[in-house]
Amino acid sequence: MQTIIRKSRKQGWYPYLFVSPFFILFCVFGLYPILYSIFTSFFDWKLIGTSAPRFVGLGNYTNVLTQDPFFWKALLNTVILLVTGSLLQHFIAIPLAIMINSKTVKGKEFFKTSFFLPYITSTVSVVIIFGVLFDTNYGIVNWLIGFVSDAAKIRWLQESFGIKVVLSVVLNWKYIGWNMVIYLAGLQAIPYELYEAAMIDGASTLRKHISITIPQLLPIIFFGVALSIIGGMQIFEEPFILTGGYEQLGGHQNSGLTAAYYLMFTAFKAYRLGKGSAIAWLIFLVILTLNGVNRYVTKKLEG
Amino acid sequence: MKSSIIVKKALLYLILGIMALVFAYPFYNVFVLATWPGDQVLRSPPHFFFGGGLAENFRQLVSRIPFGRNFFNSLGIALTSTISVIFFCTMAGFAFAKYRFRFRDQLYFFVIASMAIPGFLNIIPFYKMMVRFGWINTWLPLVVPGMAGAFGIFLMTQFLENSLPNDVIEAARIDGLGDLGILMRIVFPLARPAMAVLGIVTFVGSWNNFTGPLILMPKIEATTLPVALSLLNSRVDNNQGALMLGNALTLLPLILIFVFFSKQIISGLTAGAVKG
Amino acid sequence: MKATKFLATLALAGLALGAMSCAKKAEVVQALDPNTPYEVTIGVYGDLEKAYVAVFNSPDFKAKFPKVTFKFQTSDFGGHHNRLTTVLAANERANDIEALEVGFIAQFVESGGLTDLNTAPFNARQATKDIVKFALANATTTKDSLIAMPVDIAPAVLFYREDLARNAGVTMDNLPSWDAYIDAMKKLADTKNGVFAIEHPAAVQAIPLNGGKGGWLKDNKPLEPKEKFLGALELVRKVKAAGVDGDLGAWSGPWSQAYIDGKIATIVNGAWFGGTLRTWLSPEPGKWRVAYLPGKMMASLGGTYLAIPATTPADRKPVAWEIIKYLATSPSAQLITFREIDAFPALTSVYKDPVMDEDVTFYGGQKVRRIFADVALNIPENKVSEFDNVILSIWNGAVSEVVNGTLSPEQAYETALTKVKATIY
Repeated sequence: MQTIIRKSRKQGWYPYLFVSPFFILFCVFGLYPILYSIFTSFFDWKLIGTSAPRFVGLGNYTNVLTQDPFFWKALLNTVILLVTGSLLQHFIAIPLAIMINSKTVKGKEFFKTSFFLPYITSTVSVVIIFGVLFDTNYGIVNWLIGFVSDAAKIRWLQESFGIKVVLSVVLNWKYIGWNMVIYLAGLQAIPYELYEAAMIDGASTLRKHISITIPQLLPIIFFGVALSIIGGMQIFEEPFILTGGYEQLGGHQNSGLTAAYYLMFTAFKAYRLGKGSAIAWLIFLVILTLNGVNRYVTKKLEG
Repeated sequence: MKSSIIVKKALLYLILGIMALVFAYPFYNVFVLATWPGDQVLRSPPHFFFGGGLAENFRQLVSRIPFGRNFFNSLGIALTSTISVIFFCTMAGFAFAKYRFRFRDQLYFFVIASMAIPGFLNIIPFYKMMVRFGWINTWLPLVVPGMAGAFGIFLMTQFLENSLPNDVIEAARIDGLGDLGILMRIVFPLARPAMAVLGIVTFVGSWNNFTGPLILMPKIEATTLPVALSLLNSRVDNNQGALMLGNALTLLPLILIFVFFSKQIISGLTAGAVKG
Repeated sequence: MKATKFLATLALAGLALGAMSCAKKAEVVQALDPNTPYEVTIGVYGDLEKAYVAVFNSPDFKAKFPKVTFKFQTSDFGGHHNRLTTVLAANERANDIEALEVGFIAQFVESGGLTDLNTAPFNARQATKDIVKFALANATTTKDSLIAMPVDIAPAVLFYREDLARNAGVTMDNLPSWDAYIDAMKKLADTKNGVFAIEHPAAVQAIPLNGGKGGWLKDNKPLEPKEKFLGALELVRKVKAAGVDGDLGAWSGPWSQAYIDGKIATIVNGAWFGGTLRTWLSPEPGKWRVAYLPGKMMASLGGTYLAIPATTPADRKPVAWEIIKYLATSPSAQLITFREIDAFPALTSVYKDPVMDEDVTFYGGQKVRRIFADVALNIPENKVSEFDNVILSIWNGAVSEVVNGTLSPEQAYETALTKVKATIY
């Protein structure tokens, strides 16, 4: 990080003042729930009731990691969806942002608004829309496929592979606009002079973007990917609603069961708050690790 | 040469146009369905054009839920959240991006790490706290705890680090502005694109929040629009018309807010001091 | 360093104390004073508010409780149970009375969190002698505490389209077996024209399990007896193999559209489903009829309970109990609820009411309520356990394997059993 306001200027306490609201609010509202969840993760702790919790040490963690028939499957599902649903879309969002940012495009507002619309819809409506689009008998997707193929209709929401495809499409559809907006804002910060120099050299559009835009966007890409990892590893609502809630546990062969979905099931349906807390902290560790990798790769690319 | 430019341009618009259609059609559809009488909502083939049930749907809607109150609560919570988040997060982002101070990296890491903790189970202890505070059925639990959210700080830090040139700050200092002066007169005006992104996200998140108000503001008069609308979704007495209109009216402010903020994203930095 | 450690220990200890303070305090519950005005808060889901408002406005109720008023908190099905679970998990005060669907009863039965209605001053035992037995058993703990009162139940029957059955030349009344039902479905289905005999093969899976709310453990062994569960999976396989289903997910848009368009010939469900048909899916009277389930199987598919959260203040519990008692055991309240929303009475004494013998226009004049009442009286008891939700979710996975043909019933059963054992022990 480059810094210009130095400690030697004796303005030492201003930055602390500026960052203090977060830490004050965190102490008042965030600390107790976090300590509570660390605490419960070491107990056999029922969600509701009068029976006294029993201390089990790391028992919940070892149970989840070595015994539980769903956790690893859920984690694998989450990572697959993270790649297909949350990370790949950056390859679409960046060109999209560049296209919209291009000086020659008219109607920027219209396109920007259209692409961003899915982000502002509630998950429930998104899922209803896609449930209809991908319906086996009445869905527009199978109807279109019918023109090019005579094969049996694909039961999108009832087959393992189909569930993953639909979820990936939903996540892409919902969050591409969001990533596009981040990159649009990032593009505004790239000094125009850099492009002018390249134009004098006669570089092609593609070259220009590879050699100027992408390197300049790296911090924003790091940011966008970090958020995708944080959000993607905690994906819950979309698969939960699309595959039918707790009673279906992610649909056929649990292929829509994500880690957060399983966490919620464990705490709120199986009523094992302690084990649910343990899963939450395991997810936390995975997110930290993946973002460590993200940071490392970004630093390497920045050189 | 010229024709290839036209082809390129046509292709660009074609791609953008098709994508816009894919992304926007479902929303058009929400508004179309809001105008059909309740017993004619679901039809095959589906409706493509507006129907004549709007007035009746609205009458049904306001007779079943205190629509005005719920709308006011939703809007009030979303706006107060948005304004405070923009203010506090820009302030903190400025500090993390442009100051060097002891424990800065550690504190920043802490902010980001706090986002990685799955908060799904927090609702139980948080609810206990809110009962002790006497905040149930008020706006406070949905506004105050998130006023300086980690996400916003992360976003503002990343953007200010790059888009706020150091020499602008130096120049302001030479002109005799203090830290607060720089924050108010330089940082806030120049951070507009990122603030707009943050504003949209905060507003949308607050507006679409369902579980929070459901549990923390259980009274029908005290609660927000999405929670009140869920009442219309009961299985047996199912009034699709009122429900569809409710959905459309929930969506409308979001679209307006987005259009309002999104102008800022492009216009923010292109004019003004940064050019130099 | 030492100081930090000390502080941390202290903080954790404080947290532990705070969290464990759920421990029961002895409370004194007063009897109800009829002259004190009360505003009772009541949390319900779906359309229960509609029914209970009608009950509370009835002359009979007003005469008995002139000073009691109500404040409803209504949510959709998921939202209601979500809120209630969270508030009770935080051990905080909920509404004075809370409604619970039968699927949520099992968790509360052994875990606590709800007031035991068998203790003084409620002494529910005196009031429950006419309440249908299986529903009471579901809400009674091993220590004989009654944690919620059944108000409506859902005897399962076979709904079928009379016109389609007539055209196909099949009789659906008193089908002797599931195989006979499948044979009839083959005649009913006209898949080329989009007419299906049943919405989905999984629609039948819970029937041999008496609805699947409870009954998952026998002598602490999950999914026993094996024949029962294997039989249910085998039934699913047969229905799927018959190729007569619409492959429609319940409550989805295309599912409701199929009913609205009249493309579904039969459905097995609780009596309350008649209300859904009548008000929404197929309002035109005369089309549907009701028959016993194949082989006169008796099962329950749904039902509502009313409970008093343990956190309700002691001085409000007596009035809450009186209201619950009225809703569950007054013939007037039970019949009003039935008339308003088709929720079938849990009070067996009203089965003798003349209203049960009336011709019902919606079912073409058929005396359907006799069938509902007969099933209601013969539903077997299901033993519920705290593991029911987990087992049910895993079981649904096994059903899905059989529907998709990815595993045979036997394989699906074994896989589910392994998963259940790994999860609950």
